[in-house]
Amino acid sequence: MSILGRVVATERKPNTPHEFHFWTALDSPVGIGTIVRVECATAVAGRLPVVYGVVVEGFGYTDLETPLHDVLGHEGAPGDAELSPTMRTEIRLYSAAVLRHLPEEPLQPVGSGTVHLATDEDVAIALRMDGYLKEGSNTGIPVGMYRAGATSSPIFLDADFLLGPEAAHLNISGVSGLATKTSAVEWLLSSIFAHCPPSKGRVAAVCFNVKGPDLCFLDQPATRLDDADREMYRTLGVPAEPFKDVEYFAPWTARGYSLSTLRSNEELEHNVRPLTWGLREVLQFADVLLNRDDLDAKADALVDFIRERVVDQDFSDSLLESSHRVQSFADLERWFRDVLGSMERSNHESWRTHHVATIRKVRNRLGNISTRCRGLVTDDGSVSDLPFGTFRDRAVYVVDVANLEADAQDLIFARIVSQLREHLEKRTLGVDHVVVFVDELNKYAPSDGPDTYVRKMLLDIAERGRYLGLVLFAAQQFRSQVHRRVVGNSGTALYGRMDPDELASPGYATLAPAIRTKLSTLEKGQLMVRHPHFAQGVFVRFPRPAVLSGREGVERFPQAAEPTLEAAVTRSLRTLDRSLTLERVKDAIALSEEDEVLRARNRTLQARPPDVLSFFRAQLKRRVRPEVIDPARSRRPLRPVPADDPYGF
Amino acid sequence: MTESAGFEGGVGLRDAVRLLRSAGNASPLRALVTNVTGGTMLELLPSQAETPRLQPASPVEGSTLRVVPLEGETASSFVAFLDGVQQSRVAAQQGAVPLVHGTVAAVVRVRHDRRLTTWTSGLRVSRAMYLPVTLLDEGYVTALRDGGAEIVDIGDGSADVVHPQELLRRAHSAVQRRRELIETELAELWCLTGDGPLMVDGSISNQGLAASSGQVVGVVKSHHTLYATADALDLVTRLPAANRTTAFEVRSPRRTAVASWYLRLHEPRSLDPFFGLVRIEVAQHAFTPDRADEVSRWVLAERTPVALPDRRWHVMSYGVHDCESYLRALVS
Repeated sequence: MSILGRVVATERKPNTPHEFHFWTALDSPVGIGTIVRVECATAVAGRLPVVYGVVVEGFGYTDLETPLHDVLGHEGAPGDAELSPTMRTEIRLYSAAVLRHLPEEPLQPVGSGTVHLATDEDVAIALRMDGYLKEGSNTGIPVGMYRAGATSSPIFLDADFLLGPEAAHLNISGVSGLATKTSAVEWLLSSIFAHCPPSKGRVAAVCFNVKGPDLCFLDQPATRLDDADREMYRTLGVPAEPFKDVEYFAPWTARGYSLSTLRSNEELEHNVRPLTWGLREVLQFADVLLNRDDLDAKADALVDFIRERVVDQDFSDSLLESSHRVQSFADLERWFRDVLGSMERSNHESWRTHHVATIRKVRNRLGNISTRCRGLVTDDGSVSDLPFGTFRDRAVYVVDVANLEADAQDLIFARIVSQLREHLEKRTLGVDHVVVFVDELNKYAPSDGPDTYVRKMLLDIAERGRYLGLVLFAAQQFRSQVHRRVVGNSGTALYGRMDPDELASPGYATLAPAIRTKLSTLEKGQLMVRHPHFAQGVFVRFPRPAVLSGREGVERFPQAAEPTLEAAVTRSLRTLDRSLTLERVKDAIALSEEDEVLRARNRTLQARPPDVLSFFRAQLKRRVRPEVIDPARSRRPLRPVPADDPYGF
Repeated sequence: MTESAGFEGGVGLRDAVRLLRSAGNASPLRALVTNVTGGTMLELLPSQAETPRLQPASPVEGSTLRVVPLEGETASSFVAFLDGVQQSRVAAQQGAVPLVHGTVAAVVRVRHDRRLTTWTSGLRVSRAMYLPVTLLDEGYVTALRDGGAEIVDIGDGSADVVHPQELLRRAHSAVQRRRELIETELAELWCLTGDGPLMVDGSISNQGLAASSGQVVGVVKSHHTLYATADALDLVTRLPAANRTTAFEVRSPRRTAVASWYLRLHEPRSLDPFFGLVRIEVAQHAFTPDRADEVSRWVLAERTPVALPDRRWHVMSYGVHDCESYLRALVS
């Protein structure tokens, strides 16, 4: 390997154990982010030290003392400089941050020596990847390719530090559109699924689609992979194909005819499931929907009472008119009416220590939930949920919350993550590790603002999730606006194209100015990776995801128009039985009310029975078909009395 | 510094000081040894400056000195530049006797693709102690010799006391001769193996083979000796920019005769009549008026890039400046 440069140290720019300087020829392939190897000239303890570093700053200057000299030299005519027979002596001087010393001790300032471009092997040693890529360990997860000059080396993350238990979580920052945050996560999930070591067990992913069609086509092949992408997939050992096992979940629209997702094209409905919850599921997370002003101590006590003593059990009280079994929002409303009516009749201001005003307030707030979260929360208590307990290995579960109100998004996020956590604690989820991908983290876990339930939960995952196998992959535009403990607990951080204002915030002060400049000009497909094993950030390229992008997806699979009730029910039921026709469904629901039909559809989709139409019909109230009476038949003459009838008159 | 091609042995100032210190500990005539950076550079002492003088010269282009305007394109054909540096310091003092350490170096820098690099075998560096052997305690001389230092005797063989400044002058002259010697070696080597015109900083008349080579051009920046008298002096000092004088012969007893002329590189913008004024030397046998015009245009073309921040930028080509920068980095 030829010599690329020489280490230099001056009194003004001395070398330290953590930083060194070197010069190169003008045409050397060194740039910001290049990894180099220094072979020191002086042996320490009988061994010539080798130091690995990454270039973090570059300087270039000539022998001019002031620019004015050059202006004077060319009489103020810049074009004349090209006519000069000689070009001025020029230097390229670089500063590099130390990645690793070999031997590690004694830790000394980097000595004089020759500088070489790092080879594949050097890159592995410099980033301490040798520890987890060796035979017997092999917990490497490819994250991309490091490129410098003619060198192109795969970079691996350590699964123990990405999925736990040593460290976990991943945070990705960057401006919208250019940072390729979603693409990076899609690529990394493919990589995890391809390379997650068997010792880690089964792994699945739950992705929250919070905007547009970003994650709506993960099971469709990409159309824009070029040869360079395919080569990168080959090199990194990841199949260039879409995810094989993807299931989508979305609440119904407010009208309830179709699911609230951009993945509504009939061709893609086979793996789209409704996400609906009833009273029991929602009450567990009332804190998410009720703000602090709503939930004072008295109201909180009543909600607890309802949750523990009323819901899902027979409830009777001497004051009430009747006994109740509350299983839905409709049941709860009946219960409230009975309680308040009974109190009025008996002229009581309180019931079981709860003041009438508190009861009215809680009734109002809880009653609102089914309205605010219409489509997600059902009045009738029917539930369609993620398959907690039967999660499949290497499956992706996408929860589309893009079109929902913030309250509903919060509720979905809180409940799903809590369920994941509970099942992982009991080891009953079906998989050992779940990657939860959340975009727009600065909305869910902001650094300032009220301490919401969702933020507390995210903090809990960030701090304790790694022991459970609950791994948070989070993305946001502005890392500085995310709660410090959430980003601080992310073992791995990825940075795409960054906003210069964001880079000016104190959190980036540790980065060299040249690194900050590079981050603000990164092209698509490039990231800076920070990982516990890497002493410094490393720039990598990753391939385009092998899945159809959201933008292309909505063009290729346009959103279905809002259907009629009959068409909506037919489409939903056809996901269970392709032989069903619109005519047969029309015939089945001809006499039923809309609410009843939708309820029957929901129950059928939840039960997934073998005979879909029969089950669906059974959910509808039985009605006698009206019959038109023939007037002629109605006036049939009386039978004549027999002549020999002794009782006839 | 690592010894390599072009280094002619000897020891550096630091090593010389160390040797003298260790020798001094055992000597009854203990010398006063300087610190490792050495004493004042002899080159900066006022007594070393030449005395300015006017010298008549015989014209070789016409019968009197005239002004020749240089018209047309100025493009340089120089492919290489040669310059040398010297540095001498008092390393120790035994009584009134100075012990001088001198370093001389010379380099040929060739131009490829508008960038300058050192010519293969184009570097000479020589380091030595310049001292009057007979006036010194033998212990010092032995210690220096045993330590690998080259010793240049500047004494006259007698044990008579000599004025210390005279010894400094002799040391300085000896260092200068050594520099001229290695410059001559390089210039001659270029004449034998180099290819293309070489610009030499200073006179070529003392450079043996180079003084009669058609591919060596000397550019003299200092004018302690002015080859002009009477009217000619006025003509030279009022020479406009991009004009040359007609050529004359420069001849001295121990030097090769060369053809020479004055050339103004930059318009004088102050009262200094020598601002931007250089004297060109070429081999006499290769001289023609056309050749003088051609070489003058080459030198004019070398005005850019300007050799700033060197204070002699108005008379120095960037190639020579580059040689000096290179050598300064090497011997400092």
